[in-house]
Amino acid sequence: MRTLILMVRKDLIRKARAPLGLLVVLAFPIMFSAIISMAFGGGSTPQVYLLVENLDDNLLGKALISAMSSEQMGEYFDVEIVGEEGLSRIEDGDASALLQIPENFTESIVEGKPCSLSLVRNPAQGILPEIAEQVSLVLTDILDGGSKVLREPMDALAPYVLGDSLDMNAALVSNISVAFFDAFEGVGKYLNPPVITLSSMSVGAEDAEEEEEDEGGAGVFQIFLFVFPGISVYALFLVGDLAMRDILTESEAGTLRRQIQGPVSPGRVLVAKAAFSASVAFISLIMLTLIGWIAADAPIDLLGYLVLSLALILAVVGSAAAIYGAAGKLQRGAVIASIVYLFLAFSGGSFFSIDGMPGIIRLIAPISPFYWGTQGYKALLGQGASLADILPSVGVLSAIGIVLLILGGMLLNRNLVRGGGA
Amino acid sequence: MFQVENLSKRYGEIHAVDGISFQVRAGEVYGLLGPNGAGKTTTLSMLSGVLKPDNGRILFDDIDLHAEPVKVKQQLGVVPQETALYEDLSARENLKFWGGLYGLRGSELDQAINKTLDRVGLTARAKDAVKKYSGGMKRRLNLALGLIHEPRLVLLDEPTVGIDPQARVNILDVVRDVAKSGTTVLYTTHYLEEAESLCDRIAIMDHGRILAEGSLDELKKQAGEEETVTIEGNFEAELVRAKIEAVSSVRLLSAEQGRAVISTGGSGEGAVKLLESLFGADLPMHGISIRPPSLNSLFLNLTGRELRD
Repeated sequence: MRTLILMVRKDLIRKARAPLGLLVVLAFPIMFSAIISMAFGGGSTPQVYLLVENLDDNLLGKALISAMSSEQMGEYFDVEIVGEEGLSRIEDGDASALLQIPENFTESIVEGKPCSLSLVRNPAQGILPEIAEQVSLVLTDILDGGSKVLREPMDALAPYVLGDSLDMNAALVSNISVAFFDAFEGVGKYLNPPVITLSSMSVGAEDAEEEEEDEGGAGVFQIFLFVFPGISVYALFLVGDLAMRDILTESEAGTLRRQIQGPVSPGRVLVAKAAFSASVAFISLIMLTLIGWIAADAPIDLLGYLVLSLALILAVVGSAAAIYGAAGKLQRGAVIASIVYLFLAFSGGSFFSIDGMPGIIRLIAPISPFYWGTQGYKALLGQGASLADILPSVGVLSAIGIVLLILGGMLLNRNLVRGGGA
Repeated sequence: MFQVENLSKRYGEIHAVDGISFQVRAGEVYGLLGPNGAGKTTTLSMLSGVLKPDNGRILFDDIDLHAEPVKVKQQLGVVPQETALYEDLSARENLKFWGGLYGLRGSELDQAINKTLDRVGLTARAKDAVKKYSGGMKRRLNLALGLIHEPRLVLLDEPTVGIDPQARVNILDVVRDVAKSGTTVLYTTHYLEEAESLCDRIAIMDHGRILAEGSLDELKKQAGEEETVTIEGNFEAELVRAKIEAVSSVRLLSAEQGRAVISTGGSGEGAVKLLESLFGADLPMHGISIRPPSLNSLFLNLTGRELRD
């Protein structure tokens, strides 16, 4: 046992002296997951700086500005009311776009006359003017559609909207209301969905904002936790590969042969190297776990996590031993390991969810230890699964690990005895 | 103490080692001398337990290496031909690991490290990473790793190949020091002068066989009293062959394009006749040397080749 510890300690010191390869492998899942999370899970929303020149001094012009300045739209639009200088400011690149509300805009809508909003875009701001244009188009459609559907009650309301008269009796208000009701009822099945959407957006402003911010942050972490386990499993196999290939590095350096010339059996050298690989994988797993722990906001079944991790480490060491035992040469082993691990990672759902894969891939996925590792960690981290839930993953990974470790041990031992470690 | 009996190793049709037997006595320096490819390294690989022989036995104090490898290997120190070091570690860390592997612990290990570092002259650079060492320093550390546990028998496989003369002298001094301290040494080399200056007894190997064995004096006696005359020049081997065969009491040992080695037959008369013949033949020579009986002439007698080949 003391000799074993001595040999593992020596290898760990050597690895610590040249840690670059290991650090790069460990940085890979963190960077990859972070990039994917940021790309798909959140981040700040780009804001359109919109200038509005309102030449209509009436109800609908003001309503339009009010709508675009509302708190819901405020997440996307920063609206500033401007005068004639609006156009020159756009030319100076001060804003994303200038929306011009024409003179008699309200009158035209109410009386059903054609009118048009004009939007001047600042192409230097990339996608932001496009957003402004799309939103303006939607608003225009709504107003256009609304003016047509509500033609009858609008006509009745026109004198009071356009004029200064407020002389409305109860009967008139009642008539106009009924006309609005009838109009809405007639197109209810078309209008109701947007009406519902609007009403749902009119939740209390502060609560809604906080809720959305929380959802944005959680989205990033959820995607991170969705991507991270699979990539981490892949990275752990690479770590095991790096550690196990040391046996061939030592073989080429002559130190392996020298150990066997000493009072150490080839079997013990192999056990020490497997223990070293497991140690490096375990240390790496702890580092990755800490990252996952930060991202996960739900409690994790620690026993399940530990058992699954041990089973995975067994599979990692077994796979590396089998590959390098079969390869015999360092360079050949490294190439084979790269190809095999990449294939198993893709087919096992380490990079992309297995649910979105073609049927044939879903069919072969269970032969990949990456699949069982990824599924196990996703269940523990994302679904609050317990040890009992992930027992299939633990069982398969352990079985794969034991079988490959025995096979790899036999192959490596044969190489050592035949070639004297050289 | 160390007994090798009928040891053989084949690689396909090639007999790398072909039934060799010898004994190394306690405290002596035993040399395996032979050209490259003679089977020295294969022999050493079997003696160190790395390579399994096809036939034969290796006994250390009557314990069979094959039967109890760990027990025997505990008594051995092996210094391979190529340096086998952990280059990321320092000399001290290397020694600590290898000493620990042989069971040294604590203060005993520390003392052994200090003594070994001092022995090979690396104390001042003990904490430096080995990758910063010169080739000679690495060779010295390579030697040190085989000595750290003070083995009873050290197997040295051509430890001076490919190093500069100064480092070579240094390593030979360490080997002498080790032998002086009572450690048994088995030393393989293809350098005649190393074998002559270091070894108490020498076995001459070629093509996997031991051709001759004994002390330097014994081997020289086997070589006989015959001086060897070496001539070099611009001539065909066949021309020399014809000229020499015409001279009685001398023997052509080897002849090739531009070089020939001739035995004088151990008599002054033979030498005179030979020289007269050579000068009278008007051979285009540009060098002639006469050497007293040596290991090289013995090797030449035994194999028809010079050891330099």
